[in-house]
Amino acid sequence: MKLIKSLLAVACVLAAGSAGAVNPVPGTAQTEPLLLKNATVHSVVAAPAVQDVLIQDGKIAAVGTNLTAPANARVQDLSGKNLYPGLIALINQLGLIEVEAVRATRDDREISATNPDLRTEVAFNADSVVIPTIRSNGFSHSLIYPSGSLITGRSALMQLDGWNWQDALVQSSVGLHVNWPRMGIQTGWWVRDSVEQQQKRQAEQLAKLQDYFSAAHAYYLAEQAGLNRGRDSRWHAMLSFFEGKLPLFVHADDPRQMRQAMLLAQQYGVKLVIVGGRDSWRIADELAANKVAVIYTAPYGLPTRGDEAYDQAFSAPGVLKRAGVQFALSLDGFWDTRNLVFAAGHVTRYGLDQAEALRALTLDAAAIAGVADRLGSIEVGKSASLVVSSGDIFDYRGHQVEQMWIDGRSVDLDNRHKQLHRRYQQRYQQPSQSVQP
Amino acid sequence: MTSARLSLLSLALFGGYSAAGIAAQTTPQLGIRDKTPNLVALTNATVQTEPGKTLTAATILIRDGKIEAVSSNGRVPAGYQQRDLSGYTVYAGFIDPYTQYGVPKAGEGEGFSFGRRPVYENERRGGNAANDAIHAQQRWVTQFKPDSKAAADFLKQGITVVQSARQDGIFRGTAFVASLADDLPNNLVLKADAQHFMAFSKGSSKQTYPSSLMGAIALIRQTLSDANWYQAATSREVTTVNGQPLEFNAALAGLATIKQQGVLFDTSDERSLLRASRLLAEFDISNALLLGSGYEYSRLEQIKATGKPILLPLNFPAAPDVTIAEQRLDVNLADLRHWERAPANPAVLAQAGVRFAFTSHGLTKKADFIPNLRKAVQHGLSQQQALAALTTVPAELLGLGQQLGKVAPGYQADLVISRGDLFAEGEIVATWLRGQENRFTPVQPPVFAGKYQFNLDGQSIDITISGTAPKLAGEAVLGEKKAKLEHLRVQDQRLQFSLPLRALTEQAIVLQFNGVLTGEQLSGYWLDAAGKQQLLTLQRSAVEPKAPKAAAEPATQLSRLTYPNRAFGLSALPVTEKLHIKNATIWTATSAGVMQNTDLLVSNGKFEKIGQNLATPRGYRVIDASGLHLTPGIIDEHSHIATEQGVNEGSHANTAEVHLGDVINPDDINIYRALAGGVTTVQVLHGSANPIGGRAQIISLRWGADAEGMKFRNAPPSIKFALGENVKQSNWGTEFNTRYPQSRIGVETFIRDQFQAAKEYQAAWQVYNKLSRREQGRTVPPRRDYQLETLVEILEGKRHIHTHSYVASEILMLMQVADEMGFKVNTYTHILEGYKVASEMQAHGASVSTFADWWGFKMEVNDAIPTNTCLMHEQGLLVSVNSDDPGLLRRLNQEAAKSTMYCNMDEHEALKMVTINPAKQLKIDDRVGSIAEGMQADFVLWDQHPLSVYSVVQQTWIEGARYFDRNSDLAQREQLENERQQLIQKVLTAGESARQGSTNSYKQDDPIWHCEDNDDWLKLRFGFGDHLHSHGHAHGGQH
Repeated sequence: MKLIKSLLAVACVLAAGSAGAVNPVPGTAQTEPLLLKNATVHSVVAAPAVQDVLIQDGKIAAVGTNLTAPANARVQDLSGKNLYPGLIALINQLGLIEVEAVRATRDDREISATNPDLRTEVAFNADSVVIPTIRSNGFSHSLIYPSGSLITGRSALMQLDGWNWQDALVQSSVGLHVNWPRMGIQTGWWVRDSVEQQQKRQAEQLAKLQDYFSAAHAYYLAEQAGLNRGRDSRWHAMLSFFEGKLPLFVHADDPRQMRQAMLLAQQYGVKLVIVGGRDSWRIADELAANKVAVIYTAPYGLPTRGDEAYDQAFSAPGVLKRAGVQFALSLDGFWDTRNLVFAAGHVTRYGLDQAEALRALTLDAAAIAGVADRLGSIEVGKSASLVVSSGDIFDYRGHQVEQMWIDGRSVDLDNRHKQLHRRYQQRYQQPSQSVQP
Repeated sequence: MTSARLSLLSLALFGGYSAAGIAAQTTPQLGIRDKTPNLVALTNATVQTEPGKTLTAATILIRDGKIEAVSSNGRVPAGYQQRDLSGYTVYAGFIDPYTQYGVPKAGEGEGFSFGRRPVYENERRGGNAANDAIHAQQRWVTQFKPDSKAAADFLKQGITVVQSARQDGIFRGTAFVASLADDLPNNLVLKADAQHFMAFSKGSSKQTYPSSLMGAIALIRQTLSDANWYQAATSREVTTVNGQPLEFNAALAGLATIKQQGVLFDTSDERSLLRASRLLAEFDISNALLLGSGYEYSRLEQIKATGKPILLPLNFPAAPDVTIAEQRLDVNLADLRHWERAPANPAVLAQAGVRFAFTSHGLTKKADFIPNLRKAVQHGLSQQQALAALTTVPAELLGLGQQLGKVAPGYQADLVISRGDLFAEGEIVATWLRGQENRFTPVQPPVFAGKYQFNLDGQSIDITISGTAPKLAGEAVLGEKKAKLEHLRVQDQRLQFSLPLRALTEQAIVLQFNGVLTGEQLSGYWLDAAGKQQLLTLQRSAVEPKAPKAAAEPATQLSRLTYPNRAFGLSALPVTEKLHIKNATIWTATSAGVMQNTDLLVSNGKFEKIGQNLATPRGYRVIDASGLHLTPGIIDEHSHIATEQGVNEGSHANTAEVHLGDVINPDDINIYRALAGGVTTVQVLHGSANPIGGRAQIISLRWGADAEGMKFRNAPPSIKFALGENVKQSNWGTEFNTRYPQSRIGVETFIRDQFQAAKEYQAAWQVYNKLSRREQGRTVPPRRDYQLETLVEILEGKRHIHTHSYVASEILMLMQVADEMGFKVNTYTHILEGYKVASEMQAHGASVSTFADWWGFKMEVNDAIPTNTCLMHEQGLLVSVNSDDPGLLRRLNQEAAKSTMYCNMDEHEALKMVTINPAKQLKIDDRVGSIAEGMQADFVLWDQHPLSVYSVVQQTWIEGARYFDRNSDLAQREQLENERQQLIQKVLTAGESARQGSTNSYKQDDPIWHCEDNDDWLKLRFGFGDHLHSHGHAHGGQH
């Protein structure tokens, strides 16, 4: 225990000395068992309790009270501290965008409206300086997705401490993403198109989208019968979709869009996940009945409409929960993903309890990403992706992420922001520093 | 019935059919002269001689285009052609003061388009103004060309006289008043130089400036000031300006008459109307007519207080579309309410004693004018008031009250002839223009309704005709058998129908009848199956008595009227209360720190006493705040809420002349949402599109108040500056690379040069002010320049700079320029690299306002860190945290809390970053920002620790009045939903008729503004633009 503390101290000093804009070194594979003692364990599957957790070979080997350490185990006392599963941020563009306004740093979208053959992970910049700033607020995993028009590509689940994208990739092809055409009518005075023009364009876009799926389905049928004359890169990428192996992730906020998406999903018999879901509270029962999951991206949002209550966006997750809809929370951005944990805390005052908020950032997020067998809870056999916060991780007043493991590898929580902080602290500490008048 | 011609006349008057005696004064008459007399007696008419005065069985004598006499049962002198108007009502011709009749419209395709390079200069010719939205030199009468086709649409609605000018641009030129008769224009002009038309829209101008509403207002202000200056200058003995001869300026010269001739100001809603009124008042232009919108009822007191007459378009909105269930999602309560209340707006104004006239302006179909007039009457407007608004009021407003608007001797013989009461169900059959008739339908059409009997092959058939043409129905009865008449028409006064005999006699024969009614006899002929004609005469046995039409039900209104009139508006403004708040945890934001179990007395809008276990004075309401935290109201140094039509005047590099105070939108729902986040005061800043931006406006979030009521009283003036990527147009698109500066090196030079200009301006005034009165009278005074005047205020320390800034280099640069030119940088806002040069800013005396943790959105924020606050605070800087975003605004407490988490800032210090610290930066800390005796009672009650993510605002108070209460909000939600559903039911009940009316007259919300929004909002607003940036603010906006 003492050893670890001093090691950490040394690491900090080293980092302070370097102070360059270079990301920390990814953690090395776990070589010896680690017993975490007396932590307040937020396992997700049970109420928080003071327990021990043994991690071995990158996996959780045991959870319980008074666990005995294997002979070669390191032991760390986490008395008074909170242990959570590593948080999972679904739907963002970490590693795809470095500086939003600088096109050269962006790889988040492609032209054309038929991009099922795009796989996002190949552009993931594991050395993005943004990523360590997200980790240090407790996030170990991220589902990155492609934006764009209509069928935008396939999302990928990444762990946030890798040397490169191959190293970081947890799960490829998590979902087939569709940016559903807008169905609501915009009436702001800055809107150029008339109501009729908007309706016409929407109908055209919807027909186009349905035609794409129909074409892809034709390819799928022909493929099965061995009748395709060549490979269509786009439709070939959708074979697994028609086989029911690639869920449909539809970016939609309005009930009209969500209902249309449900019809499409039913038509092809696939699992549907709604991303965005601002209005999902309006049709929560329908979503539950159709077993549609929601990745809700507006936990900090303004109301969608002027007539909605000021806290409407905050209270939507609670409505989903009560209706029995499986959901996760997201902020759908990149650098601000670090605030997702607080957004989750925020909505607990509007109809969601804390256990449910935690679940939405862990086990349910893992389930929606199709990796609940590996991630999302502190249970034996699962990945040792864990995070330690000295206090309540959801509240500014408790949130202090002290340690993180991803697959049992210890993660260096330093980042560019801390480095710059230390660098300029030194400026003001230097005795020679004087101010020019 | 003496009418000579009963056929439907075409409206086009015949050439040379001008009123006798008027034509041909200077125009040579070629060929045979027209000497047709104009001597007409209209008899037996019901005449509304003026609003509220009716003569029955009246005779109107018309002579040479004028009314000679009006009297009951008057004698018709010899020589007068007589017209019997029994059953008809006569009104004075209607006057429309706002048209574009007879003038060329602004050219098509002259509009601005995006993707084109910005246009900074205009073509100069004829001494025009330097801005193409100014056409003040235009006298539109010089281009007047009568247009009989356009006139017809007006005449059919009873409009006989119009005021007209081209409706294009901000200063539109001088209108004229003319008759709609078809004649030489020389004969039609009633007033050659009438009102000056004005608007906030730049119309067809391609120039980039102004690109915002505040820019348009600034341009109006500068131009009116220039006009005064020009007038003064041209009257001086010595007319040189800085040694140069005074320029000739046709536009400014054109404005010399604006006070005498008055203004007609085109506005888009009640906020815009109030703005126009205030703006004109600044220049003592009291002779003004303001175009209304139908929304006047929603701020009635303020409208009334303008003291100005209103010109109301007779235009009512179609109901919001709910024909498909899911469309309800796109419909808001404000529109539903307006749909219900708009038709009663004229009645409401009349009751309030506001003087108004009507116009057909804004109607897509002019034919809706009279139906809408009736709608207004059905909704409570008296006929007398309605008639006045069409006749006497506009006549007086145009200074023609002695010639127009009444049916009285000496008045122009402009008349509206209605079959029946026009305000109920009458129909305009003709208008008279200067004694000449234009007939639309026969004046005495035969009424065929009744029962007729005839014999067909010995069998008696009863024929019943009902209704009036063109809505006729008929039936034939033979014993028990019935047949419907077909092809019922009245043509040339003859009735025509077909009678299929199949149903009566089982013969496959159709007879056709055609006949004319004389008295009670219908005589004509049948055509039988063989086409043979059989003459016959049918006797009418009885005319069906017309069922009296049920009186229109008084319109009951389901909707509430609130301030603002939208969901979550208030029925009444909150009042200042006397409070005893008990047992709160009080975060004072003073050296007293956090006080536990403390009481607070509030009275007269101020904190009266703070202490423990205070006694409750008489008349004080007790609030038990046990377990609650009380903090000062949250203050945001940097916001763009409550801003209307453009956050940036992003055209020029210096726009110090524009003022956010001119465009405060008190109806922005984000004000209410911010209150729900504990915010009480924000500084509404100009965007960051230019190095020297616009003047800022501090507002108190007094939800329900009007724009003036929102303004923080006596707030010290401030202004927005900006540095870096935005001002050098880095991310504006490739066409934006011609405005100086394009780099940080240019920004410094530009700012220095602008301040140099301000110093020279200041010096010029000092020289002038030192002259003796006599010398001043002989000299052209310096031209008042609103832009430089603003910079002089900065130099004099009267106006405080809040400068958008990110990187260390530009921060240091501005302080050096400031030191050199002799001004101070009050606050660096955003200042994400402030931690790098904190000690330099401390030495300069600047304060800082930053984002808690934003970064990643552009290159210049690459080194932003969430511990910036702490590092700057540690160097002794006054630090605040701002939002720049309406979403972030309502959780500024959480933004402040981030500094406790990222860098262990003391909690009380952190709270100060969103209370007293921004108050100090805004120089209002003597009144708000802390909890201390004597301070303004702006405070928030939180249910948990105010820096916790779990804290929820329970109440927000401003000056001792409660502006937000979570319990009231929760209770109100069901009520709002019920009202909404009731109104939707009302729309559905009205069926298809609900969709009749204007579909584009609802007020529309502004987008959520951010610093960088730099589209040409004026163009978009008024329909000339063709593009809108897709705002890819994935994370709530770029800054």
